[in-house]
Amino acid sequence: MEFRLNGAPVTLDVDEDTPLLWVIRDEIGLTGTKFGCGKGLCGACTVHLNGQAIRSCITPVSVIAGQSITTIEGLADGDVLHPVQTSWIENNVPQCGYCQSGQLMSASALLAKNAQPSDEDIDMAMSGNICRCGTYPRIRKAIKQAASQIAQASDLAYEIKV
Amino acid sequence: MTTKSALAISTVANISTTRRELIKNMSLGTGALTLGVALPGCSTLIGNTIRDDGSWEANGWLTIGSDDQVVFTLDRVEMGQGTYTGLTTLIAEELDIAPSDISVVFAPANKQYRNPDYGIQITGGSNSLSSSWVPLREIGAAAKQMLLMAASEVFQLPLDQFVASEGRVVHQGSGKSLRYGGLASIAAKQDVPNEVGLKKPSDFKYIGKQNQRLDSHLKVSGKANFGIDSQQKDMLYAIIVRAPYIGASVSSYNGDEVSALAGVTHVLEVSHGIAIVAQSYWKARKAQEKLIVTWLRNEEAPISTSQIFEQYKQHAIEDSGNVVRDDGDVDEVFEGSSSVLEVEYELPFLAHATMEPMNCVAHVQSDRADIWTSTQGPDLAQVAVAKVTDLSLNEVFIHNQFIGGGFGRRLSQDFVGEAAEISYQTGQVIKLVWSREDDTRNDLYRPASYHKMRAVVDSKTGKAKAWDHQIVCPKIMDWYVWDAAPATFPWAPKFMYSMLGHAGLLTEGSPMTPADTSPYEGAQGLPYNIPSVRVRHTKSDAGVPVSYWRSVGHSHNAFVTECFIDELATELGKDGYLYRRELLSNSPRMLAVLDAAAEKAGWGTQTKDGVYQGIAAHESFGSYVAQVVELKLDGNEIEVLRVVSAIDCGTVVNPDVVNMQMESCVIFGLTAALYGEITIADGRVEQSNFHDYQMLRMNQTPSIETVFIESVEAPSGVGEPGLPPLAPAMAGALFSATGKRHRRLPFDVS
Repeated sequence: MEFRLNGAPVTLDVDEDTPLLWVIRDEIGLTGTKFGCGKGLCGACTVHLNGQAIRSCITPVSVIAGQSITTIEGLADGDVLHPVQTSWIENNVPQCGYCQSGQLMSASALLAKNAQPSDEDIDMAMSGNICRCGTYPRIRKAIKQAASQIAQASDLAYEIKV
Repeated sequence: MTTKSALAISTVANISTTRRELIKNMSLGTGALTLGVALPGCSTLIGNTIRDDGSWEANGWLTIGSDDQVVFTLDRVEMGQGTYTGLTTLIAEELDIAPSDISVVFAPANKQYRNPDYGIQITGGSNSLSSSWVPLREIGAAAKQMLLMAASEVFQLPLDQFVASEGRVVHQGSGKSLRYGGLASIAAKQDVPNEVGLKKPSDFKYIGKQNQRLDSHLKVSGKANFGIDSQQKDMLYAIIVRAPYIGASVSSYNGDEVSALAGVTHVLEVSHGIAIVAQSYWKARKAQEKLIVTWLRNEEAPISTSQIFEQYKQHAIEDSGNVVRDDGDVDEVFEGSSSVLEVEYELPFLAHATMEPMNCVAHVQSDRADIWTSTQGPDLAQVAVAKVTDLSLNEVFIHNQFIGGGFGRRLSQDFVGEAAEISYQTGQVIKLVWSREDDTRNDLYRPASYHKMRAVVDSKTGKAKAWDHQIVCPKIMDWYVWDAAPATFPWAPKFMYSMLGHAGLLTEGSPMTPADTSPYEGAQGLPYNIPSVRVRHTKSDAGVPVSYWRSVGHSHNAFVTECFIDELATELGKDGYLYRRELLSNSPRMLAVLDAAAEKAGWGTQTKDGVYQGIAAHESFGSYVAQVVELKLDGNEIEVLRVVSAIDCGTVVNPDVVNMQMESCVIFGLTAALYGEITIADGRVEQSNFHDYQMLRMNQTPSIETVFIESVEAPSGVGEPGLPPLAPAMAGALFSATGKRHRRLPFDVS
């Protein structure tokens, strides 16, 4: 089967019912996406399917054939980190760090469709991602900071264009 | 009251150093400057001090290469608590180099990296910073001194004309300078100085100011390598199908049928069940669906949680317990009093639920084993491997990785032994990965406990006269000693392992083996001035595997002591905060955090409808924490709105790491108080995954504020002390809200 992973085409021969998580980790060897629960309960395995946050541990690889997947390794634009990654660093979000790939993928998907999320929007988008270290207050702060950075950057881009 | 929201350190005199003889130059003519240090052991689980036979292996603490690479071998693991940043900052401060310019590698198992407080190489007990505070700064200072000596030799100018700054040695007169890397090979030939002074706190550049974590970039880009991310050539994937019943063993299984499935390479019986080895994790899991195992139940295994608590209560009556504190005359006060307050508390078994499930990659060969995993105890992992193979400890090589949550779970090495056993029996490199269900049902749990509290209060004088606390629970050492004892004596042949374990238990509490304080820590040190205090432990072990869980004994004892103090305050008609103040005249540090938390939270001034406050304070791991919780009830739901903490953890090395750990402890404590409970029915653990063993989530997170107490004391723990006061502070608020005492966890307000 074929799909696109972080912008590049991938061709694989795997059992169709294999969850996307294990294809990404064990067949392709990108280990930034994490296994947490295997039931879609914790969000550690979150990736983007055509820009939407999905739980890769319960997504059979067959359903994403021909589509586009982005993992944490594809979130940055080359060496330029995504605004959520930058604000995560600036706010000292990660502790053990294990859940953070999933948190960042949920947060970046949220900001892609809602540039100025309210606290309720953040709760809605992020409450499926468990962090056992308790980094939630910092995640909330970092999402807001990333949102304002994105807004500033787009204002700037607009001014340059004008 | 001395509170500051930011850190301030007053000047203290130079710390004179006495450990010079312990730092060794280990450069070995490689052109790099390499220093190691031996930490003196205070105590060990079994032995006394580290046995240093004088042989030094070539893996030091600090290496400065001619290419300017400064490498620090982190002897404590990074599991979120911030040692990667905190310990590196200590070295950086004295070496005069930015912490971010130091590369960090994880230490292998080696006796030089043992935790000086325990005599084994474990990371736990919130002591990483306190035990490294002096030695790591000394090693940084010694390296810097040797670089200065090297520069003096190169320029043929007096030593005192040189200063170190930002990775260079500068000649003050001329401004000429040399990079550390350029001086490394000459520095390596210098004698380790007999004396080095350490910086005065007022001269600190990074300690108390370094606020950026050093591991963040790796962790936001998916590049941090956790144990579960380890990949080896020709690696196969293994799972273990475990007995659903505690203590059950395999009677029979359909191995031939499962072995024949596509992609399955091996099906074999191992110590903890049936291992399925396959070409992929998913093929192994699918094969599990076809596996049929008949289990042989252990007649002595625990049946149910209610039966366990009945056993605890029975033992409480039969055995008055081992008295660990006895002030005044408790018996006399109780006998002469007609008004005795007597209540019971119950706390559940708790799983650690680290986000990274247990896992291990093992490659066992005839002459060595290589282990890639995330462990809090690399030398204990060696023991776990040696036990299931023909290898001795020094043939086992532990490649430790970032840890996706520890909280005490990875002090136990069961998963390492399992992976080694499968690799040894199949001759393959295998990666063992536990499912979340394996993890929840096969943990070594925080022990459940039962507490009988009695007090005599005198309403005429407004004082408590006597306090009697009986704790009923198992001892963790009974479970932990089997790997820990051999790790303490790495020279001991394997046939002695079991003997060493028994010896450890027999000598517990003697000079040979420190007492297992886990049942009563946090209760024994009750800080309140009550004339007669007795604390006693009645051992009762129901056969449920137990281990260390974040803040260990403090996690249950603080709940009981702080709730009971609130009850006494109510009996005496006093406010919980003011009553504690009255009783804390001998504990100024506790009093200071209590006052700071009360002031910051506005104790007693909360006027919003339906919002209630509770307060508690507790000392653990050398640090003092008080917390005020504000909550409201929404039907049967408890909504925690705000938690204010005040902490005195001595000198603060990295203020934001302390903030992070306080937030982490609050959320961990809230999770336990609201949801945490492992129950057993029909011999099985009932919970399995995050739907029935719930974690706090983003939408339930309160506002969390932390106040630091200014201090010049040496740093003490921050990874655990923020947890113990949380639940009792909530209990106080719930009493205000409902008029009912809540004496068991998790809280149930229905």
